[in-house]
Amino acid sequence: MQRRIPVSIAAVASLGIGAFSANTLADPSPEDAKDYRQAVMSSLGGHVKAISLHVRGLVDYDGYLAKHAEALALSASEIEQIFPAGSNVGDSEALPAIWDDPDAFAEAVAQLKEATAAFADATASGDEAAMGSAFRDVGKACKGCHDRFRKDDD
Amino acid sequence: MTIERSAAGGRALCCAAVLCLLTTAADAAGQDLVERGEYLVRAGGCITCHVAEEEGAVPFAGGRAIESPFGTFYSPNITPDEETGIGSWSDEDFLNAFWNGVNPDGDHYFPAFPYTSYTGITREDLLAMKAYLFSLEPVRQPNKEHDLSVLLSSRLAAGLWKRRYFEPGRFEPDPDQSREWNRGAYLVRHLGHCGECHTPRSRFGALERDRALTGNPDGPEGDKVPNITADPEDGIGEWSTRDIEYFLESGMLPDGDFAGGAMADVIDEGTSHLTDADRHAIAVYLKSLTPPP
Repeated sequence: MQRRIPVSIAAVASLGIGAFSANTLADPSPEDAKDYRQAVMSSLGGHVKAISLHVRGLVDYDGYLAKHAEALALSASEIEQIFPAGSNVGDSEALPAIWDDPDAFAEAVAQLKEATAAFADATASGDEAAMGSAFRDVGKACKGCHDRFRKDDD
Repeated sequence: MTIERSAAGGRALCCAAVLCLLTTAADAAGQDLVERGEYLVRAGGCITCHVAEEEGAVPFAGGRAIESPFGTFYSPNITPDEETGIGSWSDEDFLNAFWNGVNPDGDHYFPAFPYTSYTGITREDLLAMKAYLFSLEPVRQPNKEHDLSVLLSSRLAAGLWKRRYFEPGRFEPDPDQSREWNRGAYLVRHLGHCGECHTPRSRFGALERDRALTGNPDGPEGDKVPNITADPEDGIGEWSTRDIEYFLESGMLPDGDFAGGAMADVIDEGTSHLTDADRHAIAVYLKSLTPPP
């Protein structure tokens, strides 16, 4: 499962280059960068929700648990690029700590990448106990990062 | 003679067997009590305050800084160490702390210790909690002095506050409600002390009970704490009981997001360890709360 992710990234990247000229992609406006990152972060939530319904045995759409797990890992692998300096603008819950303490943020993101990749592997294995525990680790990584780097505004 | 002797011997043997059975039964009962206590201590969220923030801090030895608008409180050591913990407390001392907010010396506690909610816990549950805490390894760790504004730094102030705002009393089940609703009410209002964060407070720090669980714009550590009544707009009226149960188990919100902050600790240390039935009871109770007009 993990092996396929870089291929998917390459596919997405080449699509991007095909559709736009390279320099429009180079530097999005801060507002666009913020919109994009919020879209990616929401998609993570969507996949997690879909996965949770599978994991709890409430739905069983053949094969799609693994696909959501893969998509989740793909979105997670994108996070390190979608918080460019200067994009802390507008209506956003991102805390300045993301940019003030980049090493700590990178570590938290690395943890999520690892957890989502491990979860994708677990779904591929079909071992339910391993899946449950790997999914809890994904949740922990989400919480851990939100705890330090997102405004608690619920 | 022989008969007598053998009868006496038999009696002795029999007594020994009964005694042995009794001790085993007592051990088992003690073990059950400790396990029940452990569960209740989980449900009571004791550990979220009674452990220091530092990595590797000993659970229940206290030392966590709790920021409030009135100053910084430091949670005390509740391991059974005789000198620095609660090892010398009697059952009555323990009950008195939870029911009346008074320490064994007769001093008033500040309501940072949520006796305002804990006052409703049953005697049976409290003694089980005490049995669990007393089964732990004693840790020698002196308590840190609270760091409060001058006006409040006296326990006398806590006494005055209590006289005005504290109403002691055990939980009374509502006979018109279901068993699970009552269990949920007990867990939410008393043992789980949800209102201590989710209910707004007056400027004197008193819980505004007619607005119970409608959220607190200025909660612990300055965080905004959400409305958890069934209000469909501001509260969790759109959540199903199953959403609430799964949130308390895993921390996942209905939209797939994971909350951080203090609630993450409450879930990790507390609600994720509860039985499904208790999480369900909490959900049933919360869903029944209509927001005040």
